[in-house]
Amino acid sequence: MAYFIQLVIEGLATGSIYGALALAIVLVNRATGLINFAQGGMAVLSTFVAYALFQAGAPLPLAILGAVIFAFILGAAIERVIVRPFERGDPDTAVVVTIGLFVLIGGVAAFFFGYEPRQFPSFFGTTSIDLGGVFVSLRSLGTIVVLAVVVVLLQLLFRGTKLGLAMRAVADNPQSAALSGLPVSRLLMIGWGLASVLGVIAGVLVAPQLFVSPGMLDFVLVYALAAAILGGLDSPLGAVVAAWFIGVIENLAGAYIDVIGNDLKIAVPFLVMIIILIVRPQGLFGRKVVVRV
Amino acid sequence: MTLLELEDVTASYGHAQVLHGISFRVDDNDAFGILGANGAGKTTTLRAISGMVTTGGRITFDGTDITGFRPDKVASLGIAHVPEGRGTLGDLSVRDNLRVGAYQRKDRKGVAEDIELCLDLFPNLRERIGSNASALSGGEQQMLAISRAIMARPRLILLDEASLGLAPSTAQNVYRAIKRLRSEQGVAMVVVEQNAMLAFSVVDHAIVLETGATSLRGSRDELLGMDEVRRAYLGG
Amino acid sequence: MNTSFSNRVSALTTNVWVRVVFGVVVAAVLVVAPLISSKFVNYQLGLIAVFAVAILGLNIVMGYAGQVSLGQSAFLGLGAYIAAYFVTADLPIPDELKLPVSLLLCAIIPAAVGLVVALAAARLRGLALAMVTIALPIIGIPLAKRFREFTGGSQGTTVSWLRAPDWAEGILENDQWRYYVVVVIAVIMFVLARNLVRGRMGRAFRIVKENEAVAVAMGISPYRYKVMAFTIASMFGGVAGFMYLGIVQYTSPETLSFHTSINMVAAMVIGGSASILGTIFGAIYFVLVPNLANEINPSLTALFSGAILLAVLFLVPGGIVSLPRRISQVVRRLARRRGGAAPQNPSDQAPVTAGPESTEKNKGKRQGQ
Repeated sequence: MAYFIQLVIEGLATGSIYGALALAIVLVNRATGLINFAQGGMAVLSTFVAYALFQAGAPLPLAILGAVIFAFILGAAIERVIVRPFERGDPDTAVVVTIGLFVLIGGVAAFFFGYEPRQFPSFFGTTSIDLGGVFVSLRSLGTIVVLAVVVVLLQLLFRGTKLGLAMRAVADNPQSAALSGLPVSRLLMIGWGLASVLGVIAGVLVAPQLFVSPGMLDFVLVYALAAAILGGLDSPLGAVVAAWFIGVIENLAGAYIDVIGNDLKIAVPFLVMIIILIVRPQGLFGRKVVVRV
Repeated sequence: MTLLELEDVTASYGHAQVLHGISFRVDDNDAFGILGANGAGKTTTLRAISGMVTTGGRITFDGTDITGFRPDKVASLGIAHVPEGRGTLGDLSVRDNLRVGAYQRKDRKGVAEDIELCLDLFPNLRERIGSNASALSGGEQQMLAISRAIMARPRLILLDEASLGLAPSTAQNVYRAIKRLRSEQGVAMVVVEQNAMLAFSVVDHAIVLETGATSLRGSRDELLGMDEVRRAYLGG
Repeated sequence: MNTSFSNRVSALTTNVWVRVVFGVVVAAVLVVAPLISSKFVNYQLGLIAVFAVAILGLNIVMGYAGQVSLGQSAFLGLGAYIAAYFVTADLPIPDELKLPVSLLLCAIIPAAVGLVVALAAARLRGLALAMVTIALPIIGIPLAKRFREFTGGSQGTTVSWLRAPDWAEGILENDQWRYYVVVVIAVIMFVLARNLVRGRMGRAFRIVKENEAVAVAMGISPYRYKVMAFTIASMFGGVAGFMYLGIVQYTSPETLSFHTSINMVAAMVIGGSASILGTIFGAIYFVLVPNLANEINPSLTALFSGAILLAVLFLVPGGIVSLPRRISQVVRRLARRRGGAAPQNPSDQAPVTAGPESTEKNKGKRQGQ
């Protein structure tokens, strides 16, 4: 039983990483109507910035703060300069643009830091605590808490602030929003900046475990995409719930179903996702899509 | 006092020129109409003012040359545009739509008062204040769109085809509210309408557009006196 | 002037005799090349043929039918493994038949897999389909490592295969023979693709890509054609896998790598999507550029590839194959700007685009007269 709880908590922790990146993907999709395949790459580059700052002697919290600032600027700049011309156009072209970005950013990271995996300290330390027979690492618990806090903060932002209102308006109908004087260009950049920050949070949380390298978040990205789609691309809460779900069943299936084992456990979330999507194409929490001719 | 002036304004969508030199003046507290059939260029004229299309010529608002200004910049100067199709933010609640309308304002008390004013003007909205805008009927969405414009406390409201897609009685309700708005608030308006009778219930003078150029112009009475207008719009 | 230049070029390319002569020249080059080139060059040429076929399949499903597929490498790998199995396993098939049978199975089995995947996934919206295709390499690699008896596990399978037959002894070396086999297969696949794309199915694909609702109105079932496109793409991928084993003589789980899929998509776009000729450019890019970049500086390879893909998307969205057209377009626009005064545009690139009002199109019509 203790083993089961441990697996669930570990699953929630990995799920939280997927969730943070999935939130970024959903945010970008709501704001600009496209799926950003480079979301993981942007997060990794920003995590490298944290690494570099830490190596240069900055205390970890400061290094992370620096990375967050970098991530925000990176996201805003990429939206303005590279993605803007392709928004509201053919979504498949936009996908290829983000794929190009994915390759480019990976190349930039490799150019500056090489392909050797680098160690990165854990913000929550390395201790494990004993909760009545269940051993959980502080890092796992911290990760879950961070994501929960992020979700709450995002809700507060979108429902309770003027900025959040403005971002929701722009996501709904940018042309109409401009007519009410909303600075659409600036708001799109802020949206991407915010998403990029969510990405670097995921990166910094998972770096101690995966080691920082240009390809660090490649797999996480795929899971995050699966979670975002499973949650229904327009629902942030759905993405997080789906991400937790994926993290947990992946872990449980890997441990309890012998034939799957550790190497094939990545197949489980995909199979589940495919089955759910076939039965419910709009995802668990998405709205039914009306195709207008 | 001239509030808005268009001088020889042209507009194009890509390579297709759609407006060929439109000129008119709107004074403070004026209500000006732009009439004409489908495709005459009425909506494009409003879009030119708001900077939504490639524009030539000169557009002056309160002394400032605003030709080619971005839509959000135009809005920040005090022009509220209620677009064709209403532009309601469907995913947002009615209240949030109104709050968006007041985006540029900093006076929270004034905003709250204006929300009350809108709900007073359009009682239907009061019941639906918490619903998503997409759940509203066509008429209610039109009222919401106009309210959103009012929330900005604009100097000038651009109203595009307010009667489009509405049942005649609903359209009349909307125009009755517009009339009331005019008399109570005294805000200037440019009203684009296919339905000349509805327009004439509100505007003081107007132009009639035909394939992107002005074919007729005059005060309300002058126009109503013209044979062509009577034949085209009033059934002889 | 500029228009007459592009007119002259297109007049040239549609002239039948020009095409025949062009075709003969190309054929001659293809036949003679391996005889005068080194083993290394033949290897590269063979590799270009391999990926030309793989990218061709990708182009059919993505370029023509408009379905994002990020899993083509899985079919390539599957084909390679099937061919390898035929070589290494002791099968009760007469030697002369082994080659054609394995080629056939390299076409059929991946196609069957693609069919099953497409049947399930084609109902999903475009992006969900892309997700499913990503799943293929991701699930495929651990599967390949697992089924060691068939695949050789993580180490992969090395073969010594497609040796020059006895009758060519002395005339052709192994690498030259392999080149010929692979190029012949490639030519056949290209002819197949060309006929497909020009025929009814190709037209249907284009309509489905353009606007599904219109397709339905025309009696074309988007679902059916998406499934077909994907199955065909998988078949091409499998055949490319056969060819891959022939040239490389080795396959491993790495062949199915997700990065290969992405690079193939990039190559397809750079060469020119929805274009047969563009596919060849894409294959040349795919094989040569990463190699060249690696020579200069390995850590710059990814940087270059990403930058080139983005540059193409911004400047020449139709790919290399559309370069002549694009250049004449740009030249024409520059000339026009110098000639006439442009109307004042909304200052700053506004993120919202004003589309033409549908009613404005009826400029000549009038109501109520």
